[in-house]
Amino acid sequence: MVEPIRELVTITVDGREITAPEGQMLHDAAKSGDVEIPVFCYEPKLGEPVGACRMCLVEIEGIPKLQTSCSTPIRDGMVVHTKTDQVKEAQNAVVEFLLVNHPLDCPVCDKGGECPLQDISMGWGPGKSRFTDVKRHFQKPIELSPLIALDRERCILCYRCVRFSQEVAEDEQLQLLERGDRTFVGTFDDRPYDDPYHGNVIELCPVGALTTYTYRFRARPWDIEDAGSVCTLCSSQCNVKFSIRDEEVLRVLARDNEDVDDGWLCDKGRFGFQSFGSEDRITQPMLRGGDGELSPISWDDALSRVTKALKSSGEKTAVLAGGGTSNEEGWLLGRVLREGLAGNAIDSGAHPADAGAVRGLSNPALTARMRDIDHAGAVLVLGADPRNEMPICDLRIRKGVRRNGVRLAVATDSPTALDRRAHAVGRYLPGAAAGFISQLAGEIRSEGSSSGPDAEAVAALATELRGAEDVVVVWGEELWSEPRAISALMDLATVLGIEGTETSGLIEIPTEANGRGLREVGCLPGASAGLAEAPAGPGVSEFCEKLRDGSLETILLADSDPVRTHPDGEGWKQALGNAFVIAISSFETPSASLANLVIPAENFSEKEGTITHPEGRLQRVRRNVPPPDGLLPTWNFLAAVATELGVDCGFSDQPGLFTAMTSSNGLYQGITEEDLAGQGVRWQDREGAAGRVPAGGATPQMAAPTSAPGSAGAPDSIRLGTRRDLWAAEVAERSPALEFLVPMQSLEISIPDAERLGLKQGQAVEVSAGDGASVEAKVAIREAMIPGAAFLICGARDGNGNLLTGAVPGSRTIRIEVATPVGQTENT
Amino acid sequence: MHAKLNQDKTDWSPFPYLQEADVISVQRGPEAGGAAGGWRALRETMRGMKTTFARLVEGPVTLQYPEEKTAVYPRFRGRHKLHRFTDTGLEKCVGCSLCAAACPADCIRVVARENDPDDRVSAGERYAEVYEINLARCIFCGYCEIACPFDAITMGHDYEMADYNRADLIFTKEMLLAEPIERAPLKREGE
Ligand code: SF4
Ligand code: SF4
Ligand code: SF4
Ligand code: SF4
Ligand code: FES
Repeated sequence: MVEPIRELVTITVDGREITAPEGQMLHDAAKSGDVEIPVFCYEPKLGEPVGACRMCLVEIEGIPKLQTSCSTPIRDGMVVHTKTDQVKEAQNAVVEFLLVNHPLDCPVCDKGGECPLQDISMGWGPGKSRFTDVKRHFQKPIELSPLIALDRERCILCYRCVRFSQEVAEDEQLQLLERGDRTFVGTFDDRPYDDPYHGNVIELCPVGALTTYTYRFRARPWDIEDAGSVCTLCSSQCNVKFSIRDEEVLRVLARDNEDVDDGWLCDKGRFGFQSFGSEDRITQPMLRGGDGELSPISWDDALSRVTKALKSSGEKTAVLAGGGTSNEEGWLLGRVLREGLAGNAIDSGAHPADAGAVRGLSNPALTARMRDIDHAGAVLVLGADPRNEMPICDLRIRKGVRRNGVRLAVATDSPTALDRRAHAVGRYLPGAAAGFISQLAGEIRSEGSSSGPDAEAVAALATELRGAEDVVVVWGEELWSEPRAISALMDLATVLGIEGTETSGLIEIPTEANGRGLREVGCLPGASAGLAEAPAGPGVSEFCEKLRDGSLETILLADSDPVRTHPDGEGWKQALGNAFVIAISSFETPSASLANLVIPAENFSEKEGTITHPEGRLQRVRRNVPPPDGLLPTWNFLAAVATELGVDCGFSDQPGLFTAMTSSNGLYQGITEEDLAGQGVRWQDREGAAGRVPAGGATPQMAAPTSAPGSAGAPDSIRLGTRRDLWAAEVAERSPALEFLVPMQSLEISIPDAERLGLKQGQAVEVSAGDGASVEAKVAIREAMIPGAAFLICGARDGNGNLLTGAVPGSRTIRIEVATPVGQTENT
Repeated sequence: MHAKLNQDKTDWSPFPYLQEADVISVQRGPEAGGAAGGWRALRETMRGMKTTFARLVEGPVTLQYPEEKTAVYPRFRGRHKLHRFTDTGLEKCVGCSLCAAACPADCIRVVARENDPDDRVSAGERYAEVYEINLARCIFCGYCEIACPFDAITMGHDYEMADYNRADLIFTKEMLLAEPIERAPLKREGE
């Protein structure tokens, strides 16, 4: 199902001839011809227009009454007038009516200066009001959520926020309550509006009814400067616009990029900026002294210590990159290790990716664009919960399903936020993805071939996917933890005929924000920049072991926090305790608190560099505010280290570095900074992309659908899985506004298992696995769970689930002990 | 041009510079020097002296500044004042930054903040946490006064603002709110 192509037609607006696709809304067509029609409720991002505000009335020849231009599709030969007396009168009347109940308290309103109601009243209003009665009054701002203040007096009932909640985020919490002039926006029972995207309504609201507590009264539009960058807090890589006052980021807004974020941001990206100025931030190089405390050292000292440490461990050095580490930094890290130290232990991400398979998957014909999701025939979500791992992808899938009839199939181990919208859902046990996927591929190939406990679910999924015109598979990095799952995935792609069509493909959701970029610049064992062949080396899961047994001595962590985010946190703790650790980090994270040297890192308002979106789009992160005093750019520091180690850098500034990075990279070759301007560029969309990926290496073996995926170890045992939570992240804990969202550890368990074990909802339990480590959690019984498995949040601040997983996720069973006797349970 | 000038001429010629209408004769006075020149200089000097002596009888007008000060008109635009409500004592300024937006010299800095209902600073939801005017840059145009929707800022009469240090010319909210020492006398009616 390809996006339908529409014929071009010509209409006349105010005497101008405008050519636009047939069926486009008149407002948009007029706009493309530079005719401005005022609107309040119309916002194409929200889907179908509702025509609630009547601000956009125009006169169309042949229709006796005025029409709303936001919801009138154009037709060939239409003649439209937007400036006649009749239209003016209507516009004046609409503005006058809107202002009847509007408090007009612009001086104390946060929207003042950037308010569409102000602008439209000035431009299209009558200039004065005849209304002399008492206006409607509500209690001044009430808390819609801990982040958003709602001033109901100012609301003009445009429905934008309600439509966002109902039709975009689909949380269905915001409603217009009451009727007539008493109508107001609210939630059922005055509950706080709770949704990871809810910050978007602040930007949508055309008046000052919805404002955020983090920006409230901080600045006026004329006090601030806008500056663009890209959010590096997750792999969605949303394009953002900072509002900067006095060299401080005060607010983050969406910078529309239809190819990437569709104009939305999640709340982590919107409010996470608060961590930039956190008091706990590390802004100077730090050395851990004999007493175990960090103390500041000079940059020169740091450089000589880092170089000395690296030199002395030589090829026994490991490099682990992650988070928002830029392509340039990743490339420098690769050179430091491979050229400077002759080492080959370099990796990024949390799960061991195989270079050969990465090359296979990087085939441009196999990669989907984000926008392919919009009009796909079917979307398969595999081993990932987009809401928690790549939030904007979740919105994109919802949009496709709601507006374009995309069929949605979800196959994961733990329940996802998309289940409710899915047409078919399959569950497998943690660690049993490979079997499930190959069974699915088999079932698509020949109907009725699957057997075992999952046969029904597999058949339902296969029905959605078989014969679907374009299939986009969104899959999670976690699949790499089962090597056979990747070959099964490749097989599935073949069955689905993905390679043959332009608009289908796979998109991997990496655990690290720049996961894709880091692999492509050489932070991958066995592959250097551009995925070129390099000597094989250990992968991330082997680092842990090798650091413990001493065959690796030093590890350099670039914005990576393995103790927290990687499987086998306990093992990583020991590993880092045993090795010399250099951490590039903004905070004393669980890993950095084991580091011997900490080098301060920049954030995405301070960094200059590029990152690569999971769809292969290079985007530019810009320096918009100066970093805290004297903080050296990370690339600068790494380049200095490289030079000390005898690597010839040959560039002296960031643009030079960018050119050096791209020209040494087969995939990125020829991309200039101008190409990246604004929207970024996909390397697959450039000429000769197909020939850019170096050929193979090891071809992953095909997995035969052997082990029935439903079979757990011993009967009645419960396998441990982990799930990611959007808010179980350093940035949420360091941003005062987001701290309330940091999750408590919870053990998700199925109804039958809970009944069997006598667990109650909300009960406190102690979960242990493997060699005795345990975490405390509250029981959360969930319907959509597969029996025989239970899930803990990985990366949680208190009781990180990763501490229990062991090196291979899904390989362990757990023991659950009740900590509070039944009867004292609280309901959550 | 010439064609127009010559419209009423019957003997129109293609050589306009020969036309009479283009000849401008300049009237000149007598040549400088000589008796006529001397006389003229004397006459002008006397005319000037007449003015001088006429003022002499009016007495001295010099003000003994700083002991004496120039009186200013009531609408004179001197140093700004911020105001409070006389009844509640709350600041009139709500920190809306409109003055800052209006200021052509960009010398006002307002940082607003939310009022704490238990400890109000201003009457509205917000107040100015920081309000600074850099008087070294101010051009005393009075736009800020006009922009203010609450009459919170007005131009006072004080014009004595010289200081030894540029930084001291940045007036803070406290300085602007403080009851100014009225040093500049007002002009009386008809003065
Ligand atoms: S709160 Fe804002 S966005 Fe929502 S209906 Fe009112 S004016 Fe529209
Ligand atoms: S979805 Fe990810 S990239 Fe986008 S704003 Fe949120 S954290 Fe940032
Ligand atoms: S008088 Fe004019 S220049 Fe001075 S602060 Fe006011 S607006 Fe600015
Ligand atoms: S002085 Fe007046 S215009 Fe300036 S911030 Fe205060 S209230 Fe607004
Ligand atoms: S914009 Fe058309 S009715 Fe609101």
